[in-house]
Amino acid sequence: MSQSLSQNASVPGKSKVALFYVVLILATLFWLAPVITLILTALKDAGDFAVNGAFSLPKSIRWANFSEAWETGVKNYFWNSVIVTSCKVPIGIVLESMAAFALTHMHFKWADRVFTYILIGLIVPMQMTLVPLTLLMNALNLIDTLTGLTILYIGFGVPFGVLVMRGFFRTLPVAIIEAARIDGCSWFRLFYRIALPLALPAVVSLCILDGVATWNEFILAQIFLRSDELRTLPLGLVQFSTQFSTQYDQLAAAVLISVVPIVLVFLFFQRYFVAGMGGAVK
Amino acid sequence: MATSSASEKTATPASRTVKSGKASDDSLRFLPWLFLAPALAIYSVVVAYPMVYSAYLSLFRWDGVSPTKVFVGLENYGILLTQNDVFWIALKNNAIWLVAALLLPTSIGLGLAILLNSKFRGSHIFRSVFYFPSVLSLAVVGLIWTWIYHPDLGLLNQVLNAMGLKALTRNWLSDPNIALYPVIIAATWNAVGLPMLLYLAGLQTIPEELHEAAKVEGAGPVQRFIYITFPLLRETTLVVLAITAINALKAYDIIYAMTNGGPANRTQLLSTWMYFLTYNYNQVGLGTAIAVVLFSLTLIFAIPYIRFMTRKT
Repeated sequence: MSQSLSQNASVPGKSKVALFYVVLILATLFWLAPVITLILTALKDAGDFAVNGAFSLPKSIRWANFSEAWETGVKNYFWNSVIVTSCKVPIGIVLESMAAFALTHMHFKWADRVFTYILIGLIVPMQMTLVPLTLLMNALNLIDTLTGLTILYIGFGVPFGVLVMRGFFRTLPVAIIEAARIDGCSWFRLFYRIALPLALPAVVSLCILDGVATWNEFILAQIFLRSDELRTLPLGLVQFSTQFSTQYDQLAAAVLISVVPIVLVFLFFQRYFVAGMGGAVK
Repeated sequence: MATSSASEKTATPASRTVKSGKASDDSLRFLPWLFLAPALAIYSVVVAYPMVYSAYLSLFRWDGVSPTKVFVGLENYGILLTQNDVFWIALKNNAIWLVAALLLPTSIGLGLAILLNSKFRGSHIFRSVFYFPSVLSLAVVGLIWTWIYHPDLGLLNQVLNAMGLKALTRNWLSDPNIALYPVIIAATWNAVGLPMLLYLAGLQTIPEELHEAAKVEGAGPVQRFIYITFPLLRETTLVVLAITAINALKAYDIIYAMTNGGPANRTQLLSTWMYFLTYNYNQVGLGTAIAVVLFSLTLIFAIPYIRFMTRKT
């Protein structure tokens, strides 16, 4: 099972394997110490935290931290994040995969230039767009609305989505497309009935990467959402931390609530993270 | 000097290509645009056009509210360079951040990838563990690490105390001389996952036979890394360095969550200082000028990256 662990002996010594695992487990504990601290803090009451500090087992588990945090506003933030993410991701993926399909399979003379134009969006710092976007959103009365924020997210999602989907569509055999064309299949049918179903693994990868990115977005939410009841999670949590700066127990519970969906997605769909990032580099 | 002779060499015959007149091609020429239209439209309105307009606004003195903008040419850039001390602090911080980002997450990511590339019991779990911080939002990462650095209750000072190193404890995020570095450590924790993932993918493409052959020839692990692994990861390394650099220059949330640019503006980055100038001090001209500076810095790393991504294969 572990033939590659040892460089010299073909059969590694038991003690060597054991040492390898001890080192790895220590590294893991070190690496996860911030998360462990977070969980421990969320489970204990504020008094326990003040006396015994962060990195000690709770005297008694206090689940009420979660319900209190939830009721203090996290509920709103959570549902706002759910709404924005679940609107942004599907719409974005339809637009992005249509564009990527045109760029890869439709014999399009401008494909390279359009792709380069879109890629610029991948590297641009958000700050480069904020002022004109503020003016635009103001003019359209979209400041402080989840609709406005979702539209911005869709726009900023285009470069990465096109990149990932293009990476996949490039691996799609031209023969399939040509066969369908010869059979008289229209480009739209070809896209919806053949290309998109075949691209399902890439679509799932993109859903997950994009979902996580949208769930975590901060700066656009910070600038374009003004009222407390519209805040999304990252923004709400930072606000929560400045307002209740001493209630570490509740704040930790709030942070944990925001992280749980991400952890679940991560645990169930890990391999898609790898696949998606791979598609982005190819 | 006689240059007239050059003009004698006449232009090539009109190089207009003859358009093929097939009717069916016309619909085909128009159709890709139809597929692209929704994505291109929203992208152009939300990303591309604001970029250009920001660059234009950086040439004006404007408070963002009043109906008149005063054209001042490059004066905003001059003000930043000569009168705005915080701009220089931010620029220096960006440079430090960039160097740290190019060294730390990349090398840690590479080390972990090599360590976890071999298949052993549990290797997948360990990969997930080290990738995990990358799926957290930077705002959350900032909040978590703020507790780690808490002067009395934080894990770091508690550990230092327990180890008898009380002299080393300090108020990490309030000490103007060092406050930037704890933030960089927190950002590194979050940034390691992506290089690790990309290097793991890169390592998969290196044939096992190469290592076997080198082993037979008597090459040790260090030699195999220097002469086989690292050269074959060259392309991956270029992508990793470009992406980490671009991401480093985008850093914003984590500063906002941890120090908010303080103490005394000592942890401002160009990204956060742009926000302060624009939205707190209504200096829209200066703010957009900083955005342009930040974008120009990004381009240094982005142009080779975009060339690589659009290369012909």
